[in-house]
Amino acid sequence: MTELQNPAQRLWQDQPVEGVKMSLEEVRRRAGKFERRIWRRNAREYVASLIAAGLFVYFMMSAHDWLSRVTFALFMVAMLWIVAALHRNGSAKKLPEGVDTLTGLRLYRAELERQYGVVKSMWWWYLAPMVPGFIVYTIGHAVKVPHPAAWAGLAVMDIVVAGLFYVVWRMNMRAARCLQRMIDELNVPE
Amino acid sequence: MSAALEQDGLYEEAGQAFGQALERLAHAYEADADLRRDLLQEIHVALWRSFASFDGRCSLRTWVYRVAHNVGASHVLRQRRTRGHELVGLEELEDLPDAADSQHEVDRSHALGRLLALIQRLKPLDRHVILSYLEGLDAAAIGEITGLTAGNVATKIHRIKNMLARQFHEGGTES
Repeated sequence: MTELQNPAQRLWQDQPVEGVKMSLEEVRRRAGKFERRIWRRNAREYVASLIAAGLFVYFMMSAHDWLSRVTFALFMVAMLWIVAALHRNGSAKKLPEGVDTLTGLRLYRAELERQYGVVKSMWWWYLAPMVPGFIVYTIGHAVKVPHPAAWAGLAVMDIVVAGLFYVVWRMNMRAARCLQRMIDELNVPE
Repeated sequence: MSAALEQDGLYEEAGQAFGQALERLAHAYEADADLRRDLLQEIHVALWRSFASFDGRCSLRTWVYRVAHNVGASHVLRQRRTRGHELVGLEELEDLPDAADSQHEVDRSHALGRLLALIQRLKPLDRHVILSYLEGLDAAAIGEITGLTAGNVATKIHRIKNMLARQFHEGGTES
């Protein structure tokens, strides 16, 4: 430590502190709690995926016509694709501890850029895989029930799905803009 | 000594030596008292975990400040998504108007509040430098913690001194 030259340093160091102390037991408990939370979150995602995959398999097996089977098979493949992409891209990378600030910020920026790429390309890995299933479902039902009222119902369903896709896409583009702002703001020297 | 015992020992040593500095640091990263308590606990947990990989290639002080600042920076950037106030660099703070003469009269807590408000507006890297400076660390130690070159640290400290002198009417802008 250098000798204090600036009154602001004195002001800073003389500020009242609560003298918070954390016992080793408390630190270990909190670290364990954090790890359990991560484990539970991952377990929840995998269990939900397994249940959904099981349901699609059940619907596929119990369907009476080949078009319904193809539809459910396409949805199942799309879901597996999305889960794999989430597993590959979704979770934030853990940054190494104890690195200097500049290195830490560069790694942080690289992580933000990676997340930006994931969000920006979400159409291709999140929404597009569902499209074939909806197309086959629409065509299949339009052929199976050749009635204007049924077609109108299908059209309404497709419009609602397209609207949902648009909302999800807009939300992700907003998240991408937010990430881009954060990357710009970081302004880490090369 | 086993690795776990060594990790515990290092954590306790760090807590003893830098506990108060860590509290001040948390204050500079979070204004809200409840969130600050959470942040401080997060820093302590990160510190304890980090000692599992501490290899002694830098001093304990450098390691503690690096880990704590990195947790603080992540916290600020995380909060940035929800709060949305813009962070600035030292250069922008230098352009702030001088504090009014009446500021001579302000009490210490008001002055500390103003100092904190200035710090909390800074971008992570500049915030690390000013906090290290306020903690009384020399330029070499600040360089080791931040990874900035000696020249960069000197420039930033010069700016910090100018800014503090103008905002708090303290003499001396020599680096």
